[in-house]
Amino acid sequence: MSMNARDMSGRRDGAFEREPARRVFAAELRECRYQFREGEDEKSPTFVLLPTGERSNRIFLVGTLTEKQRQGEQNIFYRGRVVDPTGTFFIMAGSYQPEAMQQLAKVETPAFVAVIGKPSLYQKPDGAFTVTVRVESITVVDKETRDIWTIDTAARTLDRIDALATRSSPDIVKAKEQYATVDPAVYRKMAYDALAQIKM
Amino acid sequence: MYEMDYSEAAERISRKFSQKGSEMDPKKIETKLRRLVAEFGVQPSEAERSVTNELAKEFNVPALGSGGAAKGTSGTEEKKIGDAVPGEWVTIEGKVVSVSAPASPSIAQSGVIADEAGAIRFVAWAKSNAPPMSVDSWYRIESAVVDEYKGVSSLKIHSGTSVKDISAEERALIPSTTPIKDLHVGIGSVRAKVVQEWDTSHERMLQSGLLGDETGTIKFVIWKEPGKEKLAVGAVYAIYYAQVDEFNGRLSLNLNTAMIMQEETDITVSGGETSVRGAIVHIAPGSGIIKRCPVEGCNRALSRQNYCPVHEIQPNFHYDLRIKGWLDDGEKTHNILLQRDAVESLTGISLDAAKEIADNNPLGMDEVFLRMRDAVLGRYFMCKGREIDNRLLANACEKVKFESGEHTALLNRAGGAS
Repeated sequence: MSMNARDMSGRRDGAFEREPARRVFAAELRECRYQFREGEDEKSPTFVLLPTGERSNRIFLVGTLTEKQRQGEQNIFYRGRVVDPTGTFFIMAGSYQPEAMQQLAKVETPAFVAVIGKPSLYQKPDGAFTVTVRVESITVVDKETRDIWTIDTAARTLDRIDALATRSSPDIVKAKEQYATVDPAVYRKMAYDALAQIKM
Repeated sequence: MYEMDYSEAAERISRKFSQKGSEMDPKKIETKLRRLVAEFGVQPSEAERSVTNELAKEFNVPALGSGGAAKGTSGTEEKKIGDAVPGEWVTIEGKVVSVSAPASPSIAQSGVIADEAGAIRFVAWAKSNAPPMSVDSWYRIESAVVDEYKGVSSLKIHSGTSVKDISAEERALIPSTTPIKDLHVGIGSVRAKVVQEWDTSHERMLQSGLLGDETGTIKFVIWKEPGKEKLAVGAVYAIYYAQVDEFNGRLSLNLNTAMIMQEETDITVSGGETSVRGAIVHIAPGSGIIKRCPVEGCNRALSRQNYCPVHEIQPNFHYDLRIKGWLDDGEKTHNILLQRDAVESLTGISLDAAKEIADNNPLGMDEVFLRMRDAVLGRYFMCKGREIDNRLLANACEKVKFESGEHTALLNRAGGAS
């Protein structure tokens, strides 16, 4: 039977909303220690909480692909390292992302690449944490795009640091709890150093 | 899911028969109704109609129409028109503000009825035997059913509905208008200026174009009908009770049902344009070079096999370019749709070049998709256009360039507080 009007508008409001791709430098992503899932559903999105106080289900990064490696026998997958002005992103693409894997396989290192992917946090047997980015897509770009991304990411990082000091949100509260020892000034300096590396 | 009140409907049917001198057992009627609705998923109004007809035939009671149910005995909830929700039985009082020619022999009359709180389309079935209603008269409509088709509510007047002229009770109806950006599917009233007139795409169309107010713009159409006149470009009109339709997530106004009055004042129309700066993070399937249906006014994208969802196989398609994807500013991802011009300037691939690539490559049209994806994915663009339901219909996009001023300002911002 027909839906009532409230359900109708609910459906429109609740229409699929894609998770935005956060801009984060490698040096900040590396420090993530807290991962959570919203909702009980199997398909509920997983978020990595950034130390500057924002959840991220997806990130957009631009840097230099310096290495890539094919691994696995039955289940082939590719690993790669993408370097930005602050550090290294660890990326991977497996047979569950065939298109991303083919794209990654095709890129000749070194090259400027733009990567859209999902970060996840792992703890190694020795207790150390790593954050890996599962690639959704990777394309070869130019240096100008890398510079624009660096500016964009520095601006977003500074926005988050400002919000951390002046505002409150569930993510900010959680970040202050999970990353109690983190000094936001570290990330301000990181952003400055990243910007300073862009040659005028 | 809406629960039908079986005993109430059964009472209503049994009352109608008793007025004609036949006594029916309401319990038996209820069982019949319950079976149709619960077991066979029949619409409540249809169930009531079919049970009434079945019994009328069985007991040879002719001409059981509306008008039988006495005022105040129907028991359905009395509502304001704006509060009527699909699936409900309602009793409303309102003024008929327009009637239109029935679209099918099974419909006696259709039109729009309004009260202070809102307006709704109504349809009186031929079999309802409802008295014809006239424009500007007030009616009390008891036990009608609100249903919904493609998100548009309408009031169905069936054989169990009673319609009574209550124009004697004098009352005024002052319709209010809605800002264009707040319009939703159904019936809407606006105060707007005609900002554009477009070439009519159909011989039955009298006029189409764009209306605008301070909050946005909306497409309008007037179909050819005796007595209909074109609107003047640049003039401001108060338009009451137009039909708000939706197609592909885009609203438009059908003015054939509307009362239109020209106003002397002028209003400043919002461009309705937004611009978004961000990175393209996804290119969706269906982007690149596509085939479109050649049937006049259709233009739908065809499948690989040249199949149009409406006009079937169309071997004489024409080619077009488009990009569907997501433009992401780090805070929000915007669904974007780029038209041919924007695609050509963004990718550097013209329609002719794309045809040639598709013709001369083993991957065919996929090759165009891949080349366009590699040209734009992961890059920064500024796209301008109209945003509707979170989709940006971009008419212009340009590549973001590195700005040294921006760089210096950020260096100062980052260094300033350390």
